Amino acid sequence: MRTRHRRLAGAVSILTSLLLVAACGAGGRSDDDGDGDGGSASDVGVTADSIKIGGTFPLTGVAAPGYSEIPTGAQAYFDWVNDNGGVYGRSIDFEVKDDGYDPTKTSSLTNELVLQDQVFATVGSLGTPTHSAVVDFLNDEEVPDLFVSSGSLQWGDDPEARPMTFGWQPDYEIEGKIIGQYVAEEMPDAKVGLFLQDDDFGEDAELGVRQYLDEQIVDVQRYTSGNTDIGPQIAGLQASKPDIVLAFTTPSYTALAQLVSLKLGFAPQWYVSNVGSDPALVGSLLEQFSEGAVPGDASALNGVMSSEYIPGIDAQDNAWVQLWQQVWDAHGAKGELTNYRIYGMSWAYTFVQALQAAGEDLTREGLVDALEEVGSSLEGPNLAPYRYSDDSHLGISGLQLVQLENGVGEPLTDVLVTDIGDAEIATDDSGQADDGPPDGGIPDVDAVD
Amino acid sequence: MQQLVNTLLGGLTLGMVYAAFALALVMIWRSTRIVNFAQAPMAMVTTFIALRIIEAGHSYWLGFAAALLAGLLLGALVERVLVRPVEGKAEINAVILTLGLFIVLHALASVVFGNRYRSFPAAFGIRGMEVGDMTIALTGFGIFTILAVLAVMGLLVLLFRFTDLGLRMRASAYNQEVARLLGVRVGHMLTLGWALASLVGSLAGLLIAGGSLVHPGYMDAVVVYGFVAAVLGGLDSPAGAVVGGLLLGVSLSLVSGYVGSELVALAALAILMVVLLLRPQGLFAQARERRV
Repeated sequence: MRTRHRRLAGAVSILTSLLLVAACGAGGRSDDDGDGDGGSASDVGVTADSIKIGGTFPLTGVAAPGYSEIPTGAQAYFDWVNDNGGVYGRSIDFEVKDDGYDPTKTSSLTNELVLQDQVFATVGSLGTPTHSAVVDFLNDEEVPDLFVSSGSLQWGDDPEARPMTFGWQPDYEIEGKIIGQYVAEEMPDAKVGLFLQDDDFGEDAELGVRQYLDEQIVDVQRYTSGNTDIGPQIAGLQASKPDIVLAFTTPSYTALAQLVSLKLGFAPQWYVSNVGSDPALVGSLLEQFSEGAVPGDASALNGVMSSEYIPGIDAQDNAWVQLWQQVWDAHGAKGELTNYRIYGMSWAYTFVQALQAAGEDLTREGLVDALEEVGSSLEGPNLAPYRYSDDSHLGISGLQLVQLENGVGEPLTDVLVTDIGDAEIATDDSGQADDGPPDGGIPDVDAVD
Repeated sequence: MQQLVNTLLGGLTLGMVYAAFALALVMIWRSTRIVNFAQAPMAMVTTFIALRIIEAGHSYWLGFAAALLAGLLLGALVERVLVRPVEGKAEINAVILTLGLFIVLHALASVVFGNRYRSFPAAFGIRGMEVGDMTIALTGFGIFTILAVLAVMGLLVLLFRFTDLGLRMRASAYNQEVARLLGVRVGHMLTLGWALASLVGSLAGLLIAGGSLVHPGYMDAVVVYGFVAAVLGGLDSPAGAVVGGLLLGVSLSLVSGYVGSELVALAALAILMVVLLLRPQGLFAQARERRV
């Protein structure tokens, strides 16, 4: 019977390794992009008629739903620009790598992009845990690391430490601040619960929310991405009887939270973070549940509060959305235009603006300098201005709170802008939200000197 | 109070699924002394087969039955084609084989069924029951889960205790030589054992999927917890597997609800270590092991 124990020991050690592997894999969602500045004469990846750029995205794996569509949107817009003569006669060659949302793969693929494919910059790379693994490498190599598809603060709050990296979407802290202030003002007596992903995403958001709601928060529950049994967390929230729950979750966990709440008879007002509230995606995740208990379409999130910082697919009358539709019809891969594709097109648009601003003699350093100089005045689909400057590489400075109704976000507030830390929240007066796209859909930014 | 009740009930339902999975592991361990790590992706594949059928517009129960049948066949196939050649060789060969199968099935499922999260329907209501003005986390589907696992347990006991076939299976598991001498076709019995175990595993896969999200990795944690449950109860004891599953389900639910969800996997490992240190034969080992 000694054999039995030996076998058991073997099995146990294998099991232990499996658990470790599983634990390592349990990252959260996120988006990232990175690029650095190299800064020599007309630079790596640039020829007279082309600019080579790249990015890493989860085309497969847990984070793939939705997020895998982002690079297809960006690609369609780059094709649109190339068809119209490119930027200073150079066409944009976008190399997409699939990291499956696995930081170890992100590292090797980013190495490949920089050392082997010799890209000029990385653009739009997706994910907080994934991009964290490569952000220092890109900065050491001085490769511009633009418009990371993630709202983590680390892409822009310390340009001295990471001079090549730029964020793009509003960071999670200012989203937390804006919804925090709204709740404090509109529902001063409400008890507030927080439901957070247990990583930077939840941490940054909590930082913002607590500036306004510290007193009103009755419970904080955190879920570990990868563990789909969130029953105990929702039961914990329910026990503190909050009137409103602020959820900073990815789409899969938004769906799970709605489902478990139904099971527990828990019906607070929900606020779901922008990254986790795409009604079409969450609706499709909830699609199959029995007996019509959960509606299987965009109406699944009716009544839920969320936020927007670029016009989305629900705003069919918006000139930007009409442009994106044209771009997608002309150059899109298979499938419909979605909010994720619009997201990709929107940062692709900003990237083209940055290239124009950097001028004809394109260098890595020139690109970064140009963004710092004119970034805050760039006009695009963003509802609020970018914050790019010498002191900040954070992206869009604000957002609009909305209430979802059949997939459409009904505005609850004007566009509100702020910054990290104790910056005031103010109504945006830049008029950014009212701008339409230029004729032809190609930006026209003057080169900086 | 409501939180405690709901956390316990959630743990109980989940524990039933762990129990079913532990049962599947125990059945294979008893007959072939192999811990079948591939049980998880096998159950995942059969659940995806059910999902395909349901998505094609057929009834839930057709998908359910097809998944169980597919589990039965897959188990038999794996034993016949893959496990048979390594039987009687060094034990590590079989374990490595099931791990390899684990990876292969995962990759195949990603290619065939896609890698995204998808919702899986439940046969019964997914709203909790209302008791007075309190909603408790016991859904129609939760009750079905508990009853289904109890029924399967009962059927297995009947099979092994009271039928001729069950006797022959037990004889093959206990001592292949002697069983052969007595005219039992041991190979057939082993195949049947794997098939039944895989069927029980498929059932666990369907039960945990119901009213939740599935993707190719969704069973991976369950094989770990099922294994801990099986060791907890004693790898040789079917009743122990069930009790182990329930204990583990409830403990992990309490850890998740009152300590933190990030500690669930750690707590499972801690339980495993404590059991192996203090009572390596498990809580329910029937006989003291003989020393050789």
